[in-house]
Amino acid sequence: MNTVIDAHNISKVYNPTTIPVYAVNNVHLHLQKGEFTALVGPSGSGKTTLLNMIGGLDRPDEGNIFINGIDITKLSANELISFRLQNIGFVFQSFNLIPVLTAKENVEFIMQLQKASKQQREERVKTLFAQIGLQDKLNERPSRLSGGQQQRVAVARALASRPQFVLADEPTANLDTKSAFNLLDIMAKLNMEENITFLFSTHDQRVIDRARRVITLVDGRIVQDTAEVSTQHEEAAAVKT
Amino acid sequence: MIFIMAWRNIWRNKMRSLVIILSIAIGLFAGIAVLALYKGMMKSRVRAVIDAEVGHLQLHDRHFKKDFEPAFVITGGVAVLKSITAMAGVKSAAPRSITNGMLATTTGSAGVQINGIVPHLEYATSQLKNKIIEGKPFDTAKQNEVMIGKKLATKMKVKTRSKLVLTFTDTSGNIVSAAFKVAAIYQSDNAPLDERNVYVTMTDLNALLSIGNAFHEIAVLLNNDNEVKNMYQQLQNKFPVCQVESWQEISPETDLLVKTTDQYSYIIMVIIMFALAFGIINTMLMAILERTREIGMMMALGTSKIKIFNLVLLETFFLTLAGTPAGLLVGWLLTGYYTKHGLDLSGMGRDMMSSFGFNTMIYPEFPWDKLTGILLIVFCTAILSCLFPAIKALQLKPVDALRN
Ligand SMILES: Nc1ncnc2c1ncn2[C@@H]1O[C@H](COP(=O)(O)OP(=O)(O)OP(=O)(O)O)[C@@H](O)[C@H]1O
Ligand SMILES: [Mg+2]
Repeated sequence: MNTVIDAHNISKVYNPTTIPVYAVNNVHLHLQKGEFTALVGPSGSGKTTLLNMIGGLDRPDEGNIFINGIDITKLSANELISFRLQNIGFVFQSFNLIPVLTAKENVEFIMQLQKASKQQREERVKTLFAQIGLQDKLNERPSRLSGGQQQRVAVARALASRPQFVLADEPTANLDTKSAFNLLDIMAKLNMEENITFLFSTHDQRVIDRARRVITLVDGRIVQDTAEVSTQHEEAAAVKT
Repeated sequence: MIFIMAWRNIWRNKMRSLVIILSIAIGLFAGIAVLALYKGMMKSRVRAVIDAEVGHLQLHDRHFKKDFEPAFVITGGVAVLKSITAMAGVKSAAPRSITNGMLATTTGSAGVQINGIVPHLEYATSQLKNKIIEGKPFDTAKQNEVMIGKKLATKMKVKTRSKLVLTFTDTSGNIVSAAFKVAAIYQSDNAPLDERNVYVTMTDLNALLSIGNAFHEIAVLLNNDNEVKNMYQQLQNKFPVCQVESWQEISPETDLLVKTTDQYSYIIMVIIMFALAFGIINTMLMAILERTREIGMMMALGTSKIKIFNLVLLETFFLTLAGTPAGLLVGWLLTGYYTKHGLDLSGMGRDMMSSFGFNTMIYPEFPWDKLTGILLIVFCTAILSCLFPAIKALQLKPVDALRN
């Protein structure tokens, strides 16, 4: 299996001079291609901070983050911008879409930044909107889409650039149960069928239940990681047979 | 896509965009209005100087202008005048005998320049007849009539038909005094000149000065303003004993005024543009603050700083583009109207305007020659003033911008 995310020993401290807050404290994290992982933990446990650092939006105070072997903590601000564009898909909790662009244009926008041809864009948009089931909403502005539909377009956009993995910070937080499940179904399906790697944070037990791997953060530390458990299970199973 | 976004962003807050478009239009219009007004004022000032004050060119004896000594008459004046009048390109020429003296009434006295004129030639060359506001032009049947300016008349409390005494020295240095009757009171656009100059007939003055039919000055009016240089040369060659001067030399302040107007109007433009710049900076800054999250999100996705910068720049550019035709059109229509009908500035006070030598009726002219300059200034102002908001947008950190 190949490692997509390899975070070593990373820490982030806010207010180091006054009352230091260890938002992320000495975290190790490895993610393989094709994983479907939930990052859980109480409010303030450092989920957003950790995701931001992995996504190259924020820098750790300590440690290194390797994405496909590249240490992104060593990249300059401008290098990070194009690194994000080429390698990482983002789905945020809200304010995902550019309001003046239609759903289709929002997805195309990313591909245009990548300088994809018109034809490439058209084809990709078609595929992606079929996958998220919004073929009939191509030309709607975000304001005319429901919250769930907006998040689905955001997922399509995150995938448009063919990133190494998709980071989603509480993608279902503003959605009703039905929409949340629908979004999760789509994400899970993309994960299963296209081997897309997802790392998402959540509070929501329903969402957590759908994850194949759950990493629990408390006070900036990883207190539980089901991968280790399941690997042990698998190893145990392997030994048995 | 940045193009489309910029365009659609303009329509997001119509009110705000309208404010910018309007301020650009108003800025442009104000710039045009100022330049048009200046151009009109300068033109009319120059016209007044040429048509009503000095003419295009003047001739004197080489020594006359030093002390206005009445002895220095133009040699062969009558012949010179005749020959000038016959030259091609000359519209009219008026002879004047001139002396400095004192005007006295029962209540007071004032220093004046006494001009002895040939009425019909003077009327043709300096519009003196048209300047009369009270009384009648010179009556050839009467003797010792005088025309004085309104400002002086008011100061000396003189009315038409009043008597006054003019005192001056003749060519031999004797003091001469004579009583004159006020035939008319005149008023031009140039109050200081009105206060200094009184007019009598050449016949009367020459008799008192005992200079026969000689005179000191010939004012020449040409058919065409552009011929001044050429005629200047011709007259200089033809009458080497005379001192030939163009209106620019005789009225250097007018020449200077015309030349400095451009600078003044640009200074005013800059002031207007400052106001415009503040408006744009404010509004664009607000537009960006409102979209902090959106811009942060775009940056998080990997939109380069140049693209974000271009977005803000393009939005301002579009707004400027929208405001420009409006400002131009209003400026063009309004100056067009006033070019035809004139703009009455008597609200500013006729006295105030005329003390600077300006008519209260201004005929503004659309400043075609400066149009590219104005447009350039407006566009530069718009672009420059959106730089600050654009830079502010670039300084946003996606992490902070996205945090709820
Ligand atoms: N810019 C900041 N300055 C100071 N402290 C911060 C900043 N951002 C986050 N923190 C602190 O860091 C800690 C981790 O915050 P973070 O947002 O990562 O938690 P979270 O797990 O995402 O919480 P939530 O579930 O509420 O989104 C919190 O204690 C928070 O107060
Ligand atoms: Mg969070």
